[in-house]
Amino acid sequence: MNWLKQNYNLKLISLLAIVVYGAAFALSIYINQTEDKLLIHDVSRLFPDRVYEIVEGEEEAALVEAVKAAKENNLKISIGGARHSQGGHAFYQDSVFLDMSNYNKILKLDEKEKTIKVQSGVTWEQIQDYINPHGLAIKVMQSSNVFTVGGSLSSNVHGRDPQYGPLIETVKSFRLLKADGNVINVSRNENEELFELVIGGYGLFGVILDVTLELTDNEIYVSQTEKINYKDYPEYIIKQIANNDDVGLHFARLAATPDDLLNDMYMTTYRTIDKGDDRYPTNEDDYEELVELNEEQNVLRDKFFFGLSRKYDWAKNLVWDLQQKLYAEKEEGEVVSRNNAMRPPIEFLEYDSDKDTDILQEYFIPVDHFEEFVDGLRKIVKEDDLNLMNVTVRYTPKHNEGYLTYAKEDTLALVLLFNHELSDEGIAHMKLSTQKIVNQALELNGRYYLTYQLFPSQDQIRKAYPKIESFFKRKLEYDPNERFMNNFYERYAK
Amino acid sequence: MLKWIVISQSLLLFGTGLVFPFYIIFLSEVGGNFSEFGIAYGIFTISSALVHHWVGRRSDKVGRKSFLLINTWGSALIYLTFPIITSIGQVYIIQVLLGILGAMQKTSEKAIVADFTDGESRGKKIGSYHFWVSLFSGFAVIVGGFLIDLLTVDIIFYFGSIILFVSGWFILFINESRDVN
Ligand SMILES: Cc1cc2nc3c(=O)[nH]c(=O)nc-3n(C[C@H](O)[C@H](O)[C@H](O)COP(=O)(O)OP(=O)(O)OC[C@H]3O[C@@H](n4cnc5c(N)ncnc54)[C@H](O)[C@@H]3O)c2cc1C
Repeated sequence: MNWLKQNYNLKLISLLAIVVYGAAFALSIYINQTEDKLLIHDVSRLFPDRVYEIVEGEEEAALVEAVKAAKENNLKISIGGARHSQGGHAFYQDSVFLDMSNYNKILKLDEKEKTIKVQSGVTWEQIQDYINPHGLAIKVMQSSNVFTVGGSLSSNVHGRDPQYGPLIETVKSFRLLKADGNVINVSRNENEELFELVIGGYGLFGVILDVTLELTDNEIYVSQTEKINYKDYPEYIIKQIANNDDVGLHFARLAATPDDLLNDMYMTTYRTIDKGDDRYPTNEDDYEELVELNEEQNVLRDKFFFGLSRKYDWAKNLVWDLQQKLYAEKEEGEVVSRNNAMRPPIEFLEYDSDKDTDILQEYFIPVDHFEEFVDGLRKIVKEDDLNLMNVTVRYTPKHNEGYLTYAKEDTLALVLLFNHELSDEGIAHMKLSTQKIVNQALELNGRYYLTYQLFPSQDQIRKAYPKIESFFKRKLEYDPNERFMNNFYERYAK
Repeated sequence: MLKWIVISQSLLLFGTGLVFPFYIIFLSEVGGNFSEFGIAYGIFTISSALVHHWVGRRSDKVGRKSFLLINTWGSALIYLTFPIITSIGQVYIIQVLLGILGAMQKTSEKAIVADFTDGESRGKKIGSYHFWVSLFSGFAVIVGGFLIDLLTVDIIFYFGSIILFVSGWFILFINESRDVN
């Protein structure tokens, strides 16, 4: 009897404990996730700002309403997509923050014309999921697919397909919600000045509502990874990659390891194969399996190793060696669809330590000056003791469209991933080193990418982008009250 | 049997060891200065002191087990608040609660270990008890440091909390009726 009663009590206690603890756990996670919503930051978590209000416009009417209300109450407006820009381009203190991520419907796919019309909060991943069954693929996007179309247009991004320059080349038209609350069509024939100002305009001219983009075929590629001396790379690019129709995607990596810092180089090229090729899938099932979209795997494992190499030099060397072995073994001759090649893993990069952060930078260097730049960069990284984690290189051909173009001649774009301390000294140190790297780029007639930190000086931005002054002037013409505001504009326009 | 006490308390110290040293670093990020740290720790110890008497007396009557359980599950719940703390005021409140729970654990732990050991071999058993418990806690601090470097401090808090919650179940196994032994 007594035993029975005890047993009953035990069960009751257990049940109660599980229920209470479970609820508390869920609540804690919930609060942790939603806490301090008005404090907006980008993925690097540098320089957050508290905004006045967040508007999550799912409908166009709500966005129009928000713009009109901001005008009446004389509030600034900032616009955010996936918030992967890293200089406060997507938010501003005490502003009405338009979170575009819920404005994310796919509106129309035209298979014959190979175009798609989407709302600007749509991510590349959503588009890939949608068009993959139709045998179509994106022409230009970043090297991964987590970004929104609106954010990508506003930075005029570029990717790994050497046939294309920046995204603007593949945009047919879009609709823009202006500071006065009116909505207009923008294309190469209609409001054409805005076409070049808004794309690459960092949200300063209005809210991009929906966008029509060109698509291409979801080709089948075979990949090849080779080692190359970085000094030979420019020649290789011009001869083998540029204007070479069968190259679908191409990128290279430079070692960020202490042992071979910016010396060792591997490049990966995806070349188109046609039905006749013996590596092309022979039957329907194989084909289906090949084009099915991959999900990212081994996130935690990669996160762990990446975490180690953030801290230790030996781990950097180890990871680099392992990577090259894997590439050499596995990717040699791997057959892959364009869509799958255009969604490489990225989640493992997510990092949120309270004391340090990972930041990106990108430099566009005229092909001929690549070697000089790499040598100069190596010197700065060593002298300033920078924690360089990863370097990728892509070819970005010359382009003319767009107000703030970053490749006025054929360039090699170097993407640098640094880890640095979040302390004031850590930031000041990184800022100084960044200015040195920017100088190095400017001396070689190169540019830096505006979408990252606001470290470069007033002088440097004006040298890199001589049209920036008139860009800011146009901004004032279209938006005299500076309704659309962000930290980038505030830092450099005054 | 001492076994369940050893297991539950080792696990408890593992969970605490994971969290506690880093809780301090974390506090500095909430924006505390040294005098506020001082106050926070003072509050912890003083609130402990105030209940030690009472806990001792009550545990003689109702048994030690329930106090150990309250401490363990109570701390598991409190750890869940660490990731969402935003002000030093909240830290003070938590320190009071942790102080009270800590007193329950300290007094009851000593008493129950005494209950379960006797005369000649008492020292030996207590020595062995502390060996296991300290080992776990030292190990936890090291593991905790690495995990935080590689993942995030919030994950450690949740992880520590879960371990504490689990260690509570082992306390349930402790059979306090001495005649069983
Ligand atoms: C890990 C990583 C990898 C990257 N890789 C590449 C790469 O391969 N190639 C490349 O070119 N870039 C790359 N970038 C940079 C990135 O493409 C740009 O920062 C891009 O703007 C991010 O898009 P988003 O959706 O996060 O935009 P956000 O950062 O949210 O916004 C960027 C800008 O767009 C504006 N904006 C957003 N939505 C709208 C809208 N609907 N209407 C008007 N304005 C809007 C914002 O106000 C802001 O000025 C990378 C960044 C990271 C963090």
